[in-house]
Amino acid sequence: MKDDARAPDFETGLRPLWMRAQAGDETAYRQALGLIATRLRGYFRRRMPNLQDDVEDLVQETLLAVHLQRSTYDPAFAVSAWFTAMARHKLVDLWRRRGRHDVLNDSYDDVDETRLVSESHDHHARRDIEQLLLALPSLQRQAIELTKLEGLSVAEASKRTGVSEPAIKVQVHRGLKRLAMLVKG
Amino acid sequence: MQTESLIDMLARGAGPAPRAVAARRFIPAILLGLAMSSAMALWLIGPLPSAMFLTPAPWIKLAYAASLAAAASVLTVRLSRPVARLKRPRSAAWGVVLAMSVVGAAAFALAPAGERLNMVLGQTWLICPGLLMLFSLPTLAALLWAVRGLAPSRLRQAGFAAGVLAGATGAAGYALVCPESSATFVAIWYTVGIGLTALLGGALGPRLLRW
Repeated sequence: MKDDARAPDFETGLRPLWMRAQAGDETAYRQALGLIATRLRGYFRRRMPNLQDDVEDLVQETLLAVHLQRSTYDPAFAVSAWFTAMARHKLVDLWRRRGRHDVLNDSYDDVDETRLVSESHDHHARRDIEQLLLALPSLQRQAIELTKLEGLSVAEASKRTGVSEPAIKVQVHRGLKRLAMLVKG
Repeated sequence: MQTESLIDMLARGAGPAPRAVAARRFIPAILLGLAMSSAMALWLIGPLPSAMFLTPAPWIKLAYAASLAAAASVLTVRLSRPVARLKRPRSAAWGVVLAMSVVGAAAFALAPAGERLNMVLGQTWLICPGLLMLFSLPTLAALLWAVRGLAPSRLRQAGFAAGVLAGATGAAGYALVCPESSATFVAIWYTVGIGLTALLGGALGPRLLRW
């Protein structure tokens, strides 16, 4: 299974970044998520040939899960084994939501080649997470906008809003969890 | 939103990975379940006479419930992760059931032939598994919630393990009110009650544990 994210060199590159990310290194985390996103894109593209439009949505959904569930990573396992198990769950869940029958009946031959070639490189999902953010309760949305989009520190966001620092953190976490649910549609 | 922007958003100010997330979900679920199970048992049936607690019977039941809960909680926490080492907690849980069966079988074998039927059936074999299961339901609900908030990838197994753990807390509650004194009875009917709860958890898992 060459297409599973198990290539040793990939893991060798990812693991040190991931371990630093787990310890709180933001730059390493950004890089690790970038590597994971690329892997996920390949993983989903190969497995859902006739649902290419959904690939980026599923990549984003899985990235959200990776972030929210990063405490479930057990260093005894390869990072790629861990996030691939999550990707598989998301894929099966999509099949279930769409009706697996329908999805599996099409073969690779039915894929419109021109659309594969013109697959955009800006990795735009169909579903817009920015739009979904608007659907969050206002405290959660505000906490995410200030700390995650404008890049304020938790202390600054707390000063700006008058909400305590722990409360800001809780709102961010709850907001991202809510977002992950909205993303599932 | 582009995926690159999403990654930026997730990484920005992310801090270290949160710790003890599983403990923060599971410990309250188990404590709440234990409290509910004991309260239901005491309220519906009423406590045993305190002299019973001077005999080994309730302690055998509580020890069975506690050892099974210990193994099943490790197993349930592990099954709440996408990939996990399951072999040891799984063998431990089966080991507890096996040990209880051995004790039950030994008690049966050592008893005089005339008492054997009574050791197996007692007075309450018909209601024991059902009540035990009833007392497990609050824990099962709380545990399924706890597992669902993490990232299980084997939903049926995770539901089953949560059911074993819930069954063990139900057994602990039921032990406070159960008048039976034979280890053979416990080995059979407690195990049946816990097993039924586990099957219920396993059946609910694929439906309720998606994330």
